[in-house]
Amino acid sequence: MQRDIPRISSALNALLRADFTAQWRNRRSVVLVLLVPVIILISWKGLVARMGGPFVLSICVTIGLTAIGLMGYTNTIARDRDKGIFQRLRVGPIPSWTIMVSRLTVQIFMIVLLTIAVFVVGFYVDKISLSPTGYLFGFVMALAGGTVYLGLGQMIVGLIKHPETVNAVTRLVYFLFIMVGMLGELGAMGNEVQQAVIWSPFGTVKRIVSDSLQPGHWTGDSGMALMATAGYAIVFSVLGIKWFKWNTK
Amino acid sequence: MNDLPTAPVLRVEGLHVYYGNFHAVRDVSFEVKPGEIFGFLGPNGAGKTSTLSAIEGLLKPRSGNISVAGYDVRQQSLHARANMGIQLQATSFQPELTITEIIRLYAGIYGVEMSNERLAALLQEINLRDAGTKRFSQLSGGQQQRVSLLISTIHDPRLVLLDEPTTGLDPQSRRQLWERIEAIREKGHGVLLTTHSMEEAEAVCDRIAIIDHGRVVAIDTPGELIERHRHDPEVISVSRKGRITLEDVFIGLTGREVRS
Repeated sequence: MQRDIPRISSALNALLRADFTAQWRNRRSVVLVLLVPVIILISWKGLVARMGGPFVLSICVTIGLTAIGLMGYTNTIARDRDKGIFQRLRVGPIPSWTIMVSRLTVQIFMIVLLTIAVFVVGFYVDKISLSPTGYLFGFVMALAGGTVYLGLGQMIVGLIKHPETVNAVTRLVYFLFIMVGMLGELGAMGNEVQQAVIWSPFGTVKRIVSDSLQPGHWTGDSGMALMATAGYAIVFSVLGIKWFKWNTK
Repeated sequence: MNDLPTAPVLRVEGLHVYYGNFHAVRDVSFEVKPGEIFGFLGPNGAGKTSTLSAIEGLLKPRSGNISVAGYDVRQQSLHARANMGIQLQATSFQPELTITEIIRLYAGIYGVEMSNERLAALLQEINLRDAGTKRFSQLSGGQQQRVSLLISTIHDPRLVLLDEPTTGLDPQSRRQLWERIEAIREKGHGVLLTTHSMEEAEAVCDRIAIIDHGRVVAIDTPGELIERHRHDPEVISVSRKGRITLEDVFIGLTGREVRS
């Protein structure tokens, strides 16, 4: 008897259950992803009065988004591709996009978790309180910013096959983004670097998150930063999808 | 579909696969019937894996037709895959998942209802009742192959593709796996098996195709292949024990040189 194609919802449910279980079993890396922004948030308590709560929150969210996109997503994809896990899934009667949708859903959940963690710690430790619209708008912009780093991760894993090289490159890019992004934006590396950082993926994401947390401060420049963020996300994702190979052979 | 039960479960016609300018598979044609174990043999780099990848839909051939259970692999790929069970050469599952979770994942992908009782019965069937909470990497080679075979057949497919399933197994595990493969045949499924073991091909395969340099150089039953080529000078010259074996025929047809 011939078998029919199973429902996509059944396959997607199974994939999501497996991917969330795998993420849960990787609790240590989840904690590490959340820990860095939370530690910065706590240690920068003194800066809240000087720089403003939204500025500090947006830096922490941006660092967390960088970690999720570059360290979490990219390295898992590189490892599973190298081990042939994707090829095993792809010979099943499911469209290949369902595999990636499931993986990305887990990362979106991580972004939500990160944003909640930063908002909660900011509220209780640094006494940063925002309007409900600010929290809501901040969530949306964190998700929008997250797509830049997921796209960047996709591009890296599209360009580089070997998982250990992917791991090394993502760590380097992560470090560069954080150091140059944080120091550069504060002007510690000169005006030219500061300008470059403002319009870099780090700067535009930080800007849209920061401005969204205080909706009254949303300006034309915020809109430009949002456009730039969307542009980065689209370019990185399109190139990442175009270059991506499901196996390393 | 107007497929009769006796119609081939796999039909490959005039398959050509290229990697750039390299012509890896040249005009390969064969069929696998229901209730048949079909061996696909060839030296390293002969075109076995490329042919298999084209059947699995992982590789796009330059030309030729492949149908599984009457479904065109390129035009109706999901239908074809729903009727195919596949055990890849290097099967790997997410290392964070337990055996139970892996089985549930693939049951979901193939749209198979999996109650706890059914899951327990399946694990019992492959003598791994107590291994449900273990990770795949914690199993022995034989146990891993049993799990892989179980997953390949979880949806009761009409065609099962097994890519070197017994490589690295001890004789006991290998014999046990042969019995499981034969049980698949008894159910009326077609099996396409690639192997480097001539003993295995002789023991379990009903028919064999030998592929070399991308071309099928012989197709027949193991017995007929030996009978037909027993007087070939190339075959006699490689014979070692005074009697002609399938391995002698294989080396006689594909040459003595070691392939990378």
